[in-house]
Amino acid sequence: MRFYLQKVGFYVVAIWAAITINFVIPRLMPGNPVDVIISKMGAAGQTVTPQTRHAIEVALGGGSGPWWQQYGAYLANLAHGDLGVSLVAYPEKVSTVIGQALPWTIALVGLATVISFIIGIGLGTFAGWKRGSWLDNLIPVTTMFQAVPYFWLALILLLLLSRVVQWFPFAGGYDVNSGLMPGFSLQFVGSALYYGFLPALTIVLSSIGGWMLGMRNMMVSTLSEDYIVTAEAKGLKPSRVRMTYAARNAVLPSLSGFAISLGFVVAGSIVTEQVFSYPGIGQLLFSAVSNNDYALMQGVFLVISLSVLAANLVVDVLYGLIDPRTRAR
Amino acid sequence: MTTTRKRLLLGAAALAASAALALSGCSGSSSSTSTSGAGSTVTVFSGQVGNFTENFNPLSPTGSGLQPTNGVIYEPLFYYNKAKAGNPVPLLGTSFTWNDDGTELTVKVRQGVKWSDGKPETADDVVYTLNLVSNNPALNTSGQKWVAKKTDDSTVVIDFPKTAFTLEPQILGNEPIVPERIWKNISDPTKTTNTNPVGTGPYMLKSFTPQSFLLVKNPNYWGTGDSAPKVSQVRYISLSNADAATSALQQGQVDYMGSFLPTLKSIMSQHKNLSYSNSPQATTALFTCSNPDLGCTGPQTDPAVRQALYYAMDRTQLSNQAAAGFSAPASPSLILNTVNKDQITSPDYLKTPQSADVAKAKSLLEAAGWTLGSKGYYEKDGKELDLSVNVVSGWTDYDTICTLLQGQFKKAGIKLAVNQVAQNAWTQAEVSGKYQLSVNSINMGPSSNPYFQYNQYLSTAATAKVGGSATTNVSRYSNPAVDAAISSLASTNDEGKEQAAYKTIQDAIVKDMPYVPVYVNSALAEYNNSHATGWPSQDNQYAFPLPWGGNWGVGIVLKTIRPVGK
Repeated sequence: MRFYLQKVGFYVVAIWAAITINFVIPRLMPGNPVDVIISKMGAAGQTVTPQTRHAIEVALGGGSGPWWQQYGAYLANLAHGDLGVSLVAYPEKVSTVIGQALPWTIALVGLATVISFIIGIGLGTFAGWKRGSWLDNLIPVTTMFQAVPYFWLALILLLLLSRVVQWFPFAGGYDVNSGLMPGFSLQFVGSALYYGFLPALTIVLSSIGGWMLGMRNMMVSTLSEDYIVTAEAKGLKPSRVRMTYAARNAVLPSLSGFAISLGFVVAGSIVTEQVFSYPGIGQLLFSAVSNNDYALMQGVFLVISLSVLAANLVVDVLYGLIDPRTRAR
Repeated sequence: MTTTRKRLLLGAAALAASAALALSGCSGSSSSTSTSGAGSTVTVFSGQVGNFTENFNPLSPTGSGLQPTNGVIYEPLFYYNKAKAGNPVPLLGTSFTWNDDGTELTVKVRQGVKWSDGKPETADDVVYTLNLVSNNPALNTSGQKWVAKKTDDSTVVIDFPKTAFTLEPQILGNEPIVPERIWKNISDPTKTTNTNPVGTGPYMLKSFTPQSFLLVKNPNYWGTGDSAPKVSQVRYISLSNADAATSALQQGQVDYMGSFLPTLKSIMSQHKNLSYSNSPQATTALFTCSNPDLGCTGPQTDPAVRQALYYAMDRTQLSNQAAAGFSAPASPSLILNTVNKDQITSPDYLKTPQSADVAKAKSLLEAAGWTLGSKGYYEKDGKELDLSVNVVSGWTDYDTICTLLQGQFKKAGIKLAVNQVAQNAWTQAEVSGKYQLSVNSINMGPSSNPYFQYNQYLSTAATAKVGGSATTNVSRYSNPAVDAAISSLASTNDEGKEQAAYKTIQDAIVKDMPYVPVYVNSALAEYNNSHATGWPSQDNQYAFPLPWGGNWGVGIVLKTIRPVGK
């Protein structure tokens, strides 16, 4: 019990720190949103007079006052689940804007991360089990994919698979021209899978190498443990030794890495979403930052930090279950 | 105006992508994506990046309503075409007259107009809208008040407390008319998202998703024949970068967009069904923090240095390399030598020199007491002529300008350091005056009337001391004679007086050079003629065509085009 209480206490402090940093960082950035809006209006040929600045300040409201007042208001609003109003998507609420983008990112990056973890760990297990087999040759190939600059890999795939041979669409989350409405219809899910394939492929290709290499090396060192010898001496089936004795112990370090990457799923992949025009959180964060949209930035950062913490908490608890040693004092 | 395009050019990804595309040539066939559903559809890419926010508020002071809100769904009284000189096009108004001293504007209102829900639109709606804007400080971006009243069913009279000729394009051409019966129930018109828009425009909203939305022909539209919409549906989509936009255009998935594509000419020659138009409007210039009296520091506060910069530029090279040859020559008067030709008061001011005149630049500097130092740069009082220019990193055309200028200025003995910064920092430096030079553009106001450029970029009222926030006059230019001329422009519509004021202003700025013009930047719009025809062309810009937010001309374009085969 004490173990779990300690964990909870730690997470409360971590959340408070995340929330506070989240408040501070956007305010340290140069520029202010009114200037950004005015320069855009000027560029669009709207009349800009000194009164315009006043009109926009009136319309946007808030954002002024000493920092401790802003901080107080921020905490109070947060407690009510109110993340404020976005400037990029003015006058939409930040929570709505994030809510629209989040499912796309979770589905795309989440699925891709899980797929890449499963394939990577699977391949790593076999490569470690049969050292020196042809599987080992996969490792340099997959690490190469990981080493190639990510946007470059994405662009090459885009060029080859959607321009040279037009197998896949080059942009978007689903076929908007077909008049489909987002929902759980077979047609829509099919279209979303088709549109998500290429971005998912780049994520999987570029992250599989790390999982595979880590798992293979852990397998190798686990296989030299005494309990493996014992298991083999008892005459257990090789498949049982491989999975229950070796792989289960070897996967532990990868599992914590997996937790962290699951947490970062919500952060999306800014580059993937930019290259493939994918309607997720990454694009949202990008436009929030380039438009000084503090409220939206805060919202996105908050969701990211909370999900990283939540993923860690879940793994911490699970880890305690899988590996009793971590609970022992 | 360049912002949208710039955003598209952002990022190494986009850059590398265009290179990749250019290398690969274009392998895409122009497969048509004819759509399911009734009749003809055109697809518009308005420069929207990421998800659409469902906002069809035509009155939004921050311009955050989606592109078709103003012009396509809602209409103003008149349309002011900034792409060519001419009279305003009547929409919900049919004619207007000013009284002599510019305090009363009488507008005849079109009869028989219906809202998209079938109810009649009347002069009362016009009066309601105009007074709503006047009385709400968050909606009234002009800061001046007026009172509108109906004198009979087809006449609205607008009274101003003082001369207000310059408010004409704002009130007649930039205020969307909204239905009183709906808007009087909206408590805060600045914050509503108006997701069920009822307007008088040629199209109305049918369905919305954050990735795309669909407009259909307004069955109650007032126009008949040529001014009635002919294409049955218009779809808006979002794409994240110039590369995706290029692909979409080539594959026939976008019919109408306004992106700067460096490889446009080769794309056009490979796809015969595509066409484009170019409507240069914004003058790219080196903005200088010019006024030491308001706190500007640095060599550029010397007018001779600014003059030397003006002559040291090789604009032909800049245009070919930075703008892919799509830019047009600028005028030192800072207004356009196309639509504003009649308002440029001296033939010398029509066009900037297109090639560098290094000797002239050097002689200007020497006359002002600069001497050539041993390192090849000019010096004065032991200090080198060393300037720094701010430019947004990732705005590739501006970045190219800066790189080229470095070499060009060096030949004239001027040292230039290039500061690539993020957009926020760039804006902030200009607004607060803490910069020496900055690449930006002089934009047009709500109509082609030069008053707007001069008032925004030159008047003392639009500036502030260094450290304060300058609204638009970031060069800190302040000249009592120019201020007087600008206010005389605001108080008259007598052509003789206007020309005299233009002359005062132009003589002053050509001498003082607070903004050093580079070229008039391209504004490219691309069209696919395989689903619809009748798009604007280079010679027939019946509306300013770029499908960007805030452009009323898109409504005119969309009701003019015809589906193919009909």
